[in-house]
Amino acid sequence: MPIVLDCVLTKARPPLTVEVALTLTPGRWALFGPSGSGKSTLLSCIAGLENPDRGHIRYDGEDWFPPPRPLNQRALGYLTQKERLFPHVSVAENVMFALKPPERRRERPWIEELRSGLGLTDLWEMDARSLSGGQARRVALARTLCRRPRLVLLDEPFAGLDRPLVKALAGVLRAWQEALGFTLLAVDHDPLMLAALCPQVLAIEQGRLVQRGPWAELIARPATPALAALLALDPWTDT
Amino acid sequence: MRARWGQTLALAGVSVVLLTPLFGLMAPVGAWRWSASSTPSALATSFTLTGLALVIVVLAGTPLAWSLRTAPKPVRTAFEAVVLLSVLMPPLALGLLLMLAFGPQSALGVLLLRLGIPTSNSTPAFVATQVYASFGYYLLAASAAFNAVPRELEHSAALLGLGPWAVFRRVTLPLARLGLATAVSLAWVRALGEFGAIMVTSYYPHGMPVQLWVDLQDRGLSAVLPLLVVFLLTALPLPWILHLLSNRAHRA
Repeated sequence: MPIVLDCVLTKARPPLTVEVALTLTPGRWALFGPSGSGKSTLLSCIAGLENPDRGHIRYDGEDWFPPPRPLNQRALGYLTQKERLFPHVSVAENVMFALKPPERRRERPWIEELRSGLGLTDLWEMDARSLSGGQARRVALARTLCRRPRLVLLDEPFAGLDRPLVKALAGVLRAWQEALGFTLLAVDHDPLMLAALCPQVLAIEQGRLVQRGPWAELIARPATPALAALLALDPWTDT
Repeated sequence: MRARWGQTLALAGVSVVLLTPLFGLMAPVGAWRWSASSTPSALATSFTLTGLALVIVVLAGTPLAWSLRTAPKPVRTAFEAVVLLSVLMPPLALGLLLMLAFGPQSALGVLLLRLGIPTSNSTPAFVATQVYASFGYYLLAASAAFNAVPRELEHSAALLGLGPWAVFRRVTLPLARLGLATAVSLAWVRALGEFGAIMVTSYYPHGMPVQLWVDLQDRGLSAVLPLLVVFLLTALPLPWILHLLSNRAHRA
């Protein structure tokens, strides 16, 4: 179930042309690059919130663009930078929002796994408006995964979470990806966060892919000075 | 603490100003006279026909207000200008223009009469006038309510696989419900209290506002005041309840 992208999108503010051609097979992929390099725009294009100016996006034999496929017909889970939880329902209802009652009964073991794996047990009946930033992030992640999407897009999945929690969640996410076999594409500008989750990395700079491969290769031979600077700023690589 | 006292006093002062007209109920106009024959009929006419008008306004106005969000900007701006025109229309002028456009002397009125729909002094004329008088208010308030719903939440729901109707039912409508309750209150108050336009288009059947006028002319203030009390007591619960429910939902 590969996703194939070959598209161009020009943004006015800030001025940026994103021009990317890539094929992703199931696995865990990190999309890494400096702020404003087009990482989130690329995820947004795949999800359908933005449309490319030209090019095509295909997933598992389906045309997602052109013509733009309706959002609800794209079998993906998309965790955006802001959680966008539904404020009028509980945490439990947020997580299970996509599931109809029979599906909720059928998926009870999976929902229970999400609840315990993401540490939501104590929050389950709470009002979604009363959550802290880190709690909301975990609820949004559970909601993204609840209907077992075949393609998972995560935009800064661990923003606002402390390091021990990031490490724990990355482990859980790795296990779920291996068990379910979905394609995971995660975006961050922090290589530590991404390296904890994804073995393969796509490096993007000023809207263009500049390098692709395992982290070790990227760290050993960064393709551009900007990438080298980003990796050198990483406190882990300093030690 | 001092600021709170000041605020409370200011609100109390404004309340007194707003309620001052009601002190007129204590005016020495002689013993109140209850008009047992006309009041129940006027009440029934007002509430039944206003209810019908409200149903029409809500059924037509809600999808229209929702769809306005996605209309091209020039189309939306032009449409909103038309709606504002209808809202700004003085009631008496609205009645006169409705009569000129739909009355028995107009081509449209003649056609409707042939179809069995009398356009003057009739139930259809009463309801249509109320719809004209309240539709713009409902539409503007309902549009504001829908505009206040973040589009990102609707996109999130769609990305979870929900179709457009499910997104509307499970996200848009619940999040807009407080504003929609206000819109219904506004439309109800506007339609029920309509006098100027109704006087021109549908003097018969008498609704409460026209009955007040008739009683004032024929029987004097002592007959009007009890009718007014009944009118207020029966008309106000709906907007008050909607207002209280809105406040409770805000606090929840």
